[in-house]
Amino acid sequence: MIELRLPSRLGYERVAMDAAASLASRMGFETDRVAALKTAVSEAVTNAIEHGNQHNEAMKVVVLLTVRGDELIVSVTDQGHKAIDAAYVNRVPQISEAMKRDDKGGWGIWLIQELMDEVEFTTAPSGGNQVRMVIHLER
Amino acid sequence: MHNGKTSIELVVPSILGYEIVARGAVATFAHFIGFDQARIEDLKTAVSEACINAIEHGNQLQPDLPVHITSSYDGHRFTVEVSDTGTKPFGTITEPKTIEEKLAGAASLRGMGIMLMAALADEFLVEPSAAPGNTVRLIWYQCEVAQP
Repeated sequence: MIELRLPSRLGYERVAMDAAASLASRMGFETDRVAALKTAVSEAVTNAIEHGNQHNEAMKVVVLLTVRGDELIVSVTDQGHKAIDAAYVNRVPQISEAMKRDDKGGWGIWLIQELMDEVEFTTAPSGGNQVRMVIHLER
Repeated sequence: MHNGKTSIELVVPSILGYEIVARGAVATFAHFIGFDQARIEDLKTAVSEACINAIEHGNQLQPDLPVHITSSYDGHRFTVEVSDTGTKPFGTITEPKTIEEKLAGAASLRGMGIMLMAALADEFLVEPSAAPGNTVRLIWYQCEVAQP
């Protein structure tokens, strides 16, 4: 298992993206699957920085990368200043609606669910938000 | 450019190959800080060597033993610390042999890691960790860009 602790500052999601991509490439994932993984990790870490930790740089985002057989499990945990809105977890955003808003965000959770094979949103034992994502290696 | 003090921490298992993940994470961090590509390439090689030493020697290739990598930046100094759990302590560090000396048979052809780290980092130090183990500290100073 790889453990990565990052400050809650936008831009650091790239460190997590590259670490996950490096591990996935080593496992034999195809390029398009690695790209999907990078996007999902980026969204999950960005959510943790922006929402869970409210951009407080002293708060850490913890990313765990676990290889189990033919699957890579990624867990992203924040320190939970703000809980994930349950309504977002089951919502399918509409482009037409988004275009009417000044804020074009709100796609992260949906993207993660579309790109990963398994996704689970829970509360970590520490009280923060935890996103657990699994991507399967197809041989 | 990033001016405040900031750091990332990484823990990897003692499995050869995981140094690639570590060096990539540290390189991405250095790029984010604003290091130029040539220095990042030096940093990647040195971090790889430090991690391989920790995996092979300090942790004796025991997968469950962790290698801790902490990388920090304080506004002008970029530091990478690589710590193992010290199954095998580092021997006394003597002046590393040169490539010419190695090719002449004065030393093993292996063991280039310490020489490389010393050559590529601005400062290089090996010391016992606070906890049992060895810590390699690599430091690079951010070069100021001369104004025209």
